Amino acid sequence: MRKTIMTVDDAATMRKMISFTLKGAGHDVLEAADGAEAYGVLSQRAVDLIITDVNMPNMDGIELVRRLRAHPNHQRTPILMLTTESQPEIKQQGKAAGATGWIVKPFQQEQLLAVVARVLPNSN
Amino acid sequence: MASMNEDLQQQLIQDLLVESYEGLDRFDNELLQLEKGGASAETMNQIFRIIHTIKGTSGCIGLSRIEKLAHSGENLLDELRAGDRQVHSGIVSLLLKLSDTLRSMLQHLEANGNEGDTDYSALLEQLKNPSAAEVAATAPAEPQISETSEATPDPASAAQTAETTVPDGWGLFDEDPAPAAESDIPRESATPPPPTNIAPAPAKPEPANEISSPAPEAVGNKPSIADSAIRVDVNQLDKLMNLVGELVLARNQILQFTTTSNDNALLNTAQRLNIITTELQEGVMKTRMQQIGSIWSKYPRVIRDLSHDLGKKVELVMDGQETELDRTVIESVKDPLMHILRNSVDHGLEMPEKRRAAGKPETGLLVLRAFHEGGQVNIEISDDGAGINVPRVKAKAVERGIITNDQAARMSDREAHNLIFAPGFSTAEKVTNVSGRGVGMDVVKTNIEKIGGSVDVHSEPGRSTTIKIKIPLTLAIIPALIVTSGGERFAIPQVSLVELVRLEDVQARKSIEMLYGAPVYRLRGKLLPLVYLKGVLARDAGNAGDLQAKLASKTGDVFARARDAHRAWLIKLRQFLDGKLTMSDDEAGSHQICQLGKWIYSDGLPNYGDIREVVALEKCHQQFHLLVREIVATKNADTTADCEAKLRQLDGLSNEVLDLLTRAEKRIHENQIVNIVVLQADGRQFGLVVDQINDTEEIVVKPLAKQLKSLICFAGATIMGDGCVALILDVLGLAQHSHVVSGTRDQALADERTTSGTAEDEKQALLLFDVGGDSRIAIPLSLVARLEEIESNTIENAAGQEVVQYRGQIMPLIRVGDFIGASRSGHEPNNGDGSLQVVVYSEHGRSVGLVVSHINDIVEEHIKIRRDGRGGGIAGSAVIHDRVTDLLDVPDIIRRADPDFYSAAVNA
Repeated sequence: MRKTIMTVDDAATMRKMISFTLKGAGHDVLEAADGAEAYGVLSQRAVDLIITDVNMPNMDGIELVRRLRAHPNHQRTPILMLTTESQPEIKQQGKAAGATGWIVKPFQQEQLLAVVARVLPNSN
Repeated sequence: MASMNEDLQQQLIQDLLVESYEGLDRFDNELLQLEKGGASAETMNQIFRIIHTIKGTSGCIGLSRIEKLAHSGENLLDELRAGDRQVHSGIVSLLLKLSDTLRSMLQHLEANGNEGDTDYSALLEQLKNPSAAEVAATAPAEPQISETSEATPDPASAAQTAETTVPDGWGLFDEDPAPAAESDIPRESATPPPPTNIAPAPAKPEPANEISSPAPEAVGNKPSIADSAIRVDVNQLDKLMNLVGELVLARNQILQFTTTSNDNALLNTAQRLNIITTELQEGVMKTRMQQIGSIWSKYPRVIRDLSHDLGKKVELVMDGQETELDRTVIESVKDPLMHILRNSVDHGLEMPEKRRAAGKPETGLLVLRAFHEGGQVNIEISDDGAGINVPRVKAKAVERGIITNDQAARMSDREAHNLIFAPGFSTAEKVTNVSGRGVGMDVVKTNIEKIGGSVDVHSEPGRSTTIKIKIPLTLAIIPALIVTSGGERFAIPQVSLVELVRLEDVQARKSIEMLYGAPVYRLRGKLLPLVYLKGVLARDAGNAGDLQAKLASKTGDVFARARDAHRAWLIKLRQFLDGKLTMSDDEAGSHQICQLGKWIYSDGLPNYGDIREVVALEKCHQQFHLLVREIVATKNADTTADCEAKLRQLDGLSNEVLDLLTRAEKRIHENQIVNIVVLQADGRQFGLVVDQINDTEEIVVKPLAKQLKSLICFAGATIMGDGCVALILDVLGLAQHSHVVSGTRDQALADERTTSGTAEDEKQALLLFDVGGDSRIAIPLSLVARLEEIESNTIENAAGQEVVQYRGQIMPLIRVGDFIGASRSGHEPNNGDGSLQVVVYSEHGRSVGLVVSHINDIVEEHIKIRRDGRGGGIAGSAVIHDRVTDLLDVPDIIRRADPDFYSAAVNA
């Protein structure tokens, strides 16, 4: 089933890659370059899944998750965080803020698709 | 990613390259900021993020070596960010090295499609153990651990909490995502986060209020998603620009049609088209505009490294980074600017001790400033260093054979400053790594001039040096002056244009002089070498020179004299009729004997035979004399005979003669309007003579086909409003082709050199004239300020001396004949009327007029002066053009005529 997924990353290459992978799996993808931009869009509309980087200018991923959880549209939207192995404490912060799960960068396409499949509602 | 297709992989690599290069440039600058100590937590975070992003992205594309290096950097940066480690210049140098290595790997990737196999193990080791790197900062550490070090787990991953790590590379905080959403986590997360097993490190500065305060604003102003800004291929923009150029041309063509149309609908549409095209043109231009800061961002790093290498302290201040200009222009100033900066640090700024000794702060100031002015971009690079050492620069220039000792002595400081732009000039005592490799400021100058810019240097000894660069905003559409020559139109870029001079009538023929065989015009006292566009283009081969001779003729107003000669003849006839004069029939009848007749056959027909009126004049003049002969014959036969009817007829003919002369003159004058376009090339001016000045226009520059590229006189082509092609003149090329740029200075200096004019056996330009006697007299042309013809009725008397008012001054007249004792009867014969030939001699703002009979010629010859010491105003004699010619001793004559002249001149 076709879902709308937003990917938030300040690195265009990363966005492009995620977007390519997800589109290949038949989803629609929205992109945003930082938390503030993502929040601007997401405060106006709902999506099925949000994949966000953590360290970004203007508004970081943790703060984005925090704000989204406070927004009526996104209290239940699954949110995945892109983290790195070297930042274990970030995962904890993400969890505390209300993120659904995490993916370690770098990842393979299969890994991304696997976790997305797990968190998307009604996708089994 | 094995399943990723090749195209996407390539595209991602391209994106990564662009993103990472940009990131690393920013990285360098932020680091320098950090080193200075002026960095905020956010700066630190940005630095971290850049390397973090490179690591993440490269890892995903499968660039493991880049990822690994970035990873080590990230760890170190994380420690710095957390405050576990202090920032010092050793660490900054290490991180800069990281940036360099990453950059070179990216470059390798760009060029070869793979990361390469540069051995960075030493760097990796230093990044992991920066304290050791500090010690080894100067001598690069030996690679202690080979590539196997890959296996070494970094401390961070070791510290990773086991509970969240799964081999899949992903995980969920709650195994069941749905309940997580259903639970009260949302509400909970809206409130401060609940305590977790790992407490957020207080040292980690990510305070919510600092980040959230700008966020609402950003959210409000930026409702769009990531593609509010997109990357566009530069070629695409170039293509657009070209198309807009075509559109502009088409618009111009349509606008031309509308000038002859009365159709209101068409006029309105055309006007709309005009406005829209202009806006579109501006819009597309804007897309090509880039902030100059984009190339400046590299400079702080370069200056830092450079000053470290040289042991100097430099503070680089940049102002006006946001100044925008076309990307093609930006590209072409990038290297010249870098060169100037390097030069300023290397040559301009002094060592700290020296600065201290000079009472200046140890840290030298280097200011880079950009701003818009008059449709151009100005860039100034100034340092507060030692300034340009003029004697040293001159000595060097002489040593390098760029100028002669003589020239050096005569050169002003300003001129000397500009010697640094001379080809092959370098004052660096030894070739350093930094500058002094022979390719120097001359290349900078050429490159900047190539794009229609200019470079100038100002320097205050011991205080500062400022280099000013002016460059056009864009090279694609430029304002140009359209001129016509030989029936063809040409465009001259407005940037080279200084002024327009239009010479009419008398001026056109008199004010252009020949100097050393080259036409020149005196523009407000300065010699302006002239180039005839027709001559350059060989459209009028050989003719331009002739025309010059004609125009430069110093024989005065020929037609006025011809008319006067005719009137004189009428007076003669009247005197004959009154019985005051006798005249033979032959004398009366021969139209060839009278002055006008002589002129017709010697000058009129040969020079102006192509003019209808002159041909008609010959016939009319012939008839006139036939009638005169009849009258004279009748009168000689019978003095009482009545000739009134014939005389009336004669009057008619006479008027016709005068009328024809006037009309011929007018026609010639119409042809003799001289349009001079004063142009600037290579810092010197010259005049380009064209047939017609049309208009100024915005033109779209089209490059010339490669077959024509080698023609240095043309810079390109453009399409005019009527669809015709016009060539764009390359002003510098034109000047070089005509030898007016380099030649002028030497010539001007040569002029100054011939001041005394009596040096023996030297090639000299001489003015030849006579004063009524047989002897011919010469004076050096260098002593001649002007040649004038003055009316004798303007001569006044002051203190027993003949004077005239000349250019707001009283100019004494010296009748040369009186002083050299030439055998003459009375005063200089005038030219049938009351005008006198005067050679104006000026010195120190004072002038005297030397009255002569005829000016004969200007020659340039090697002359051998025989000094016979006869004095009396003659310095000696020489053979010029097979005739013995006396050389006038001008100072002696002036002294005798006006003993006060020299002392007064000095006092003046």
